[in-house]
Amino acid sequence: MSEAVLTVRGFGKSYGAVRALEDVSLEVRRGEVLGLVGDNGAGKTTLVKCIAGVLEPDTGEIAVDGTVRDVHTAEAARALGIEVVHQSLSLIDTLDVTQNFFLNRELVYENWLGRRLRWLNRRAMYRQTGEVLDELGVAADPQRLAAYLSGGQRQMIAVARAMKWGRHIVIMDEPAAALGVRQAQQILDFVRLLASRGIAVILISHNMQHVLAVTDRIVVLRAGRKVGDLVTSKTSGREIVTLITGSELAVPGEEVGV
Amino acid sequence: MSERTESAPGPASGLLEGSRRWALVRLRRSFRVLGLVLALAVIWVFFAIRSEYFFTSDNILNILLQASNIGIVAAGLTVVVITAEIDLSVGSLEALAGAIAAIVIIREGVPVAIGIPAGLAVSVLAGAISGVLTAKLKVVSFVSTLAMLGIAQGTAFLLTNGQSVYGFPESYRAIGTSKIIGIPTPAVIALGVFIALHLMLTRTKLGLKMFAVGGNAEAAAYAGIKVGRIKLYALMLSGLTAGIGGLILSSRLDAGNGLFGAGDLLGAVAAVVIGGTSLFGGVGSIWGTATGVLIIVTIANGMVLLNVPDFWQQIVVGWIIIAAVMLDQLAKSARLPGFLR
Repeated sequence: MSEAVLTVRGFGKSYGAVRALEDVSLEVRRGEVLGLVGDNGAGKTTLVKCIAGVLEPDTGEIAVDGTVRDVHTAEAARALGIEVVHQSLSLIDTLDVTQNFFLNRELVYENWLGRRLRWLNRRAMYRQTGEVLDELGVAADPQRLAAYLSGGQRQMIAVARAMKWGRHIVIMDEPAAALGVRQAQQILDFVRLLASRGIAVILISHNMQHVLAVTDRIVVLRAGRKVGDLVTSKTSGREIVTLITGSELAVPGEEVGV
Repeated sequence: MSERTESAPGPASGLLEGSRRWALVRLRRSFRVLGLVLALAVIWVFFAIRSEYFFTSDNILNILLQASNIGIVAAGLTVVVITAEIDLSVGSLEALAGAIAAIVIIREGVPVAIGIPAGLAVSVLAGAISGVLTAKLKVVSFVSTLAMLGIAQGTAFLLTNGQSVYGFPESYRAIGTSKIIGIPTPAVIALGVFIALHLMLTRTKLGLKMFAVGGNAEAAAYAGIKVGRIKLYALMLSGLTAGIGGLILSSRLDAGNGLFGAGDLLGAVAAVVIGGTSLFGGVGSIWGTATGVLIIVTIANGMVLLNVPDFWQQIVVGWIIIAAVMLDQLAKSARLPGFLR
């Protein structure tokens, strides 16, 4: 196995008296898909936001490619090639698909005046967005306002955007929630496609079948702590659910998760 | 664009429905643009029939002159509203900029070329103070600019001792009273401001960030946009345009006074909402606002010509605001975002 592209060491985060994360460490390697599972409130989304620079952890550090990095802003995370598909709210309704696609990394005309005024090269952005969506087989007009996309299309575009810009690490927070079977499968295919391109993927999901199907390794969080780090091929849904809930009793066999 | 097909049973039908709805939206969008211009035309025809003086070149130039002042102020306000904030201090900042110019130029005898930037600098600074309060200290702009409304007007009164400071030099008076190829200079300045702000909003990274911040501040922050800083810029810009408006006004009236411009807030907000800029943020346009200003000013002008008592103007403008906001609410509930983007 190659070296870790992302290393999280000793992350801790409290909201007042609530300890959302406590001494969580994990690593992801190039081309590896890591599943991140846990019950509601286990700290998954907090962990992701800390990695993405949206939240600042109280303790702990991040290393990218073995070098400790300062990731205290979303911009810093993006600059390091870390891209996140945030749960359900990553698109801006009042902007069109292309504007969302290039949000805060717009192309400007590469001449003296263009760089000075940061003059948008809209034609190039519409064209590139169309190309990427075509390549991934996502059906959406680059000029359509996000408000008029279906839930599935929105999710596909958020994922496609992460795929275009995530150079090292792509984190997906419940990317397939609320999607139809076929679109969920398409998202899972994207996850494998990313891994095959050598990108490290962290997938958060409540759907145990999805997690078992596409991940190489699974990290389990419970009440802000890491309680399991398993190789997917050597575990079972039963074992994972036991770790998630902390008890054997609640396990109704292999068909858990929604 | 292309109709790429998707064979999933559920989502595919949603997609089809989506594209049909989109066609409808485009139609309604252009209807709204058309509707505004049409409304303006109807108002013009109405007053032209009722008053023979209305459609004379003198009166039309007069409308342009009135509209340019409030238009410049409303253009800056549009930018603030697009970022989902409000600037209630625009009228007071007009008064403050005019008062500063009057004090510096008339009382202190400083050259016009220095007095003008001084007036603008003070109004931008006032916008920056509201902006910092809103961006850094998370005071909603409704409160920070309301406070600035009081501070700026009080300062203007204090500087002028509550009176008019008059007697600007000819070079300063020329700003508001001269003409460029037959068109009042203020109207030319207003056109310049409209074009500059329209291009800033629609063609530059900064403008796109403003729409993004107003559309969904959280998603914008996730994308690494510094939301507070963008709102600060918007409020500073509004300070600048209010300052420009205030200087033009003081030039036309040949005086600085704590009252000049103080009543422009109502008209500016009306113009912005009539123009289709959403008070929820993320949607809006300069040209919509420009049309809105012409509607407001034309109605005011026509009512004067028809000898309607002054007070009715404010009442009518107030009702127009309510109607425009209701339209915006309806549009929102139908998931229909403004127009002219």
